[in-house]
Amino acid sequence: MIKLNVNGIEHSLDIEPEMPLLWALREETALRGTKFGCGLGLCGACTVHIDGAPVRSCSYPVSAAVGKEINTIESIGTEETPHAIQQAWIKHQVPQCGYCQSGMQMAAVALLNENPQPTDDDIDNAMTNLCRCGTYDRVRAAIKSAAKELA
Amino acid sequence: MGITRRIFMLTGATVGGGLLLGVGGVGAHLLTHNRVGVQRDANQSDNAEHINMWLRITPDNKIVVVNPHTDMGQGSATGLMQIVADELDADWSQMQVESAPAEQAYSNGKVFEGFMREMVTPPQWASTLLENGFYRMGDLMKMQMTGGSSAVRFTGMDAMRKASAATRQMLISAAAAQLDVSKDSLSTNMGSVVHTESGQSLTYGELAASAATMESPKKVALKSPDQYQYVGKPVERIDVPGKVFANQDYGIDAEVPNMQYAAIAASGVFGAQVKSIDNLDEIKAARGVSDVMIVPDGVAVVADNPWRAEQAARTVKFTNESHANDTLSTESLVEGQRKALAGELTNGMSTGAPADIEATVKAEYFVPYLAHASLEPMSATVWQQDGKLHVIAGVQNPLGAKVRAAKEAGLERDDVIFHSRQMGGGFGRRVAFSMSGDEPLNWLVQAVRVAVDTGKPVKTTWSRETDTRNDVYRPMVLARFEGALADDGKPSVWRSRSYGKEMNIKAVAPPYDIPNISVDYADHPHPVPTGFWRSVEHSQHGFFVESFIDELAAEAGVDPLQYRLSLLDDNSPAAKVLQKAAEMSGWRNGADDQGRVMGVAMVHSFGSTIAQVVEASMTPAGPKAHRVWCAVDCGIAVNPQAVEAQVQGSVNFALSAALHGKCDLKDGGVVQSNFHDYRIVGMADAPRIEVELLALGSPVGGVGEIGVPPLAPALCNALAVLDGGRRRALPLV
Repeated sequence: MIKLNVNGIEHSLDIEPEMPLLWALREETALRGTKFGCGLGLCGACTVHIDGAPVRSCSYPVSAAVGKEINTIESIGTEETPHAIQQAWIKHQVPQCGYCQSGMQMAAVALLNENPQPTDDDIDNAMTNLCRCGTYDRVRAAIKSAAKELA
Repeated sequence: MGITRRIFMLTGATVGGGLLLGVGGVGAHLLTHNRVGVQRDANQSDNAEHINMWLRITPDNKIVVVNPHTDMGQGSATGLMQIVADELDADWSQMQVESAPAEQAYSNGKVFEGFMREMVTPPQWASTLLENGFYRMGDLMKMQMTGGSSAVRFTGMDAMRKASAATRQMLISAAAAQLDVSKDSLSTNMGSVVHTESGQSLTYGELAASAATMESPKKVALKSPDQYQYVGKPVERIDVPGKVFANQDYGIDAEVPNMQYAAIAASGVFGAQVKSIDNLDEIKAARGVSDVMIVPDGVAVVADNPWRAEQAARTVKFTNESHANDTLSTESLVEGQRKALAGELTNGMSTGAPADIEATVKAEYFVPYLAHASLEPMSATVWQQDGKLHVIAGVQNPLGAKVRAAKEAGLERDDVIFHSRQMGGGFGRRVAFSMSGDEPLNWLVQAVRVAVDTGKPVKTTWSRETDTRNDVYRPMVLARFEGALADDGKPSVWRSRSYGKEMNIKAVAPPYDIPNISVDYADHPHPVPTGFWRSVEHSQHGFFVESFIDELAAEAGVDPLQYRLSLLDDNSPAAKVLQKAAEMSGWRNGADDQGRVMGVAMVHSFGSTIAQVVEASMTPAGPKAHRVWCAVDCGIAVNPQAVEAQVQGSVNFALSAALHGKCDLKDGGVVQSNFHDYRIVGMADAPRIEVELLALGSPVGGVGEIGVPPLAPALCNALAVLDGGRRRALPLV
């Protein structure tokens, strides 16, 4: 059995240790906010936090996540209690199709936790998620706006 | 939490009660093709609330826009709500939207009509007759399409606007009867009909039931733009919060009881079918695997988890039937196009006497096949229940997809229930039709096959690799251009020949005042499956035409922006957007002290006109686009912030193609597989994009695709300023 702590809840799962965390989250814990885009850690649609750090869950075996705190988009905020990033995402109307945006927001939250006032270069370096709709201008503006809000 | 909510969503049509108003042509159009009755049935709602095909008004005073378009990120639902709210004098807080059911009653002739009118201009007397004809064509074609940048300009500004204005008249008639006053003494305001004299007012909700029994007016007056309260204002899109809080279900997120998962091992050769599976026992022994079967274009492996299914699919060994495409390669395809261009051509357009003038500037251009690479890979969930086949998927044509699923399952259309979902990107990939006859729903066909053959509820999902290699591709095109200059430096002749027949020849011809033009094409098919790709033929021909005009400007020794302006009417939208883009960018024809250069391009498409200036430089890693300025004429921009978003997104979409996009062919299949070799620009490579919308009084145009065509030529034109080198083949890196 693989024991995973997801969003503060312990799960005991009968899965292969090499199963990527993404599929355990989506299929075994029914948390489908985390998306599948490429399976090779290239696009970042599957970004979650492990002990606070952004990780591409499609290429991260569950065995490596045992004993760590896993957080998904579902734990970041809700419409009633939104995270500053989510408020900024709405203010700047960031999403288009929205499919990459849980991963994009998870990367942004991790960036601001690590670096509360990121420069443009910091944003370029940290935000390596791909958005096929091309929302980058607004992602950048929303991160800066959230950083200001959190300052 | 996920499971309960998701399963609940499957249990039936999402539609509650509400007033449906008649076919789209309410108003100044004939109404012989009225479908209200069937629409009421299809919508399973209270007859009293259905005023017409496009909207319902509920007893609790909600106005529900029945949207025949699906969302892939374009945000048009909000624009449609703005249009309806304005024409109805509604309060924004009472506006709602729901998806039209995937039913024949909701086929959207307006879109078909819009496209046809764009290409042929019928005489006025024929227009009303044609409108009914278009609905019938829409029916015949099972068209409920989202594509061609059509939702706001055709469904919204034409059909829904007229239907809403007619509804407002019917509500006034109902109020006049109820209050026993004249219609002239009544006005509408914020969702109520008001009798100012007596101070009485009735909400639309209170009037809906009797309004639905009123005859639809034959003629309606539409508001003028200065009366709009919602149209033209930046409105927050209604689809955004669900995407931000990740409680928006995409097709890939479907869940049904006892669901199994399928992955596909594709045959790897376009058109080739798998003849035998050679290691069946080995695959079946893998954990969780229950079924392995040959399906169209490949082998499907069914398991109890999508990762297990995909792992097993990757180990499938199979034998294909031999196929003419087995040896297909990029080299053989380019050679084929080159031969075709040297052979017999079809003339698409001709003016003047182009053959008599000797060409002095000649160039060959090339763009490759491109995949759509929507971030959500193709996925469909199919199951049988109570004698019906159910399908969950995100598509750009739910009715077309339903018909295709029925055909594959050998069922009648009405034996399929199609549950439409948010799309994780579309860009033309998820349509139900192609000009080439290739099957864009190849993924849905496989999903239906798997569910029907196993008798199980199955979600079939393509890996990124399967998605990249089994697309219907943006066509590869080779093109040759020839031109000559008159004594004043302006083009005296323009000749082009290109591979493939395009839907709209206007996209292939230069949009400039040139006396002698000849546009020829080789009317040959593609051995590779092709389909619609964001901006369609403009994506190739915008690049060719706007690059070659720049070559002629360089030959004439004239600033390329001034050169274009010299070939346009000063008052045309084309000239206006070029001037605006020049002003926004502080246009300069030369490098600045950091080695940054500018290039310009202008393209008409989808009823709009756009000019872009790209500022670029050369870096050790290749060309870099730093900034892009876009000047747009799309008539009234219904939701300006959403228009800006579409144009910004299109620039990045086009930049990915210009820098990196290509699908090479080898041994009958596509070489590229995932985002390492089919690259998409990321944050660090994305330019800063500024968009300005001009108010020129033009008709409302589409905006979802117009930002794509000018980007590559503007970028390449900029780089030519830097080093004199003309980039005539994409991608650049």
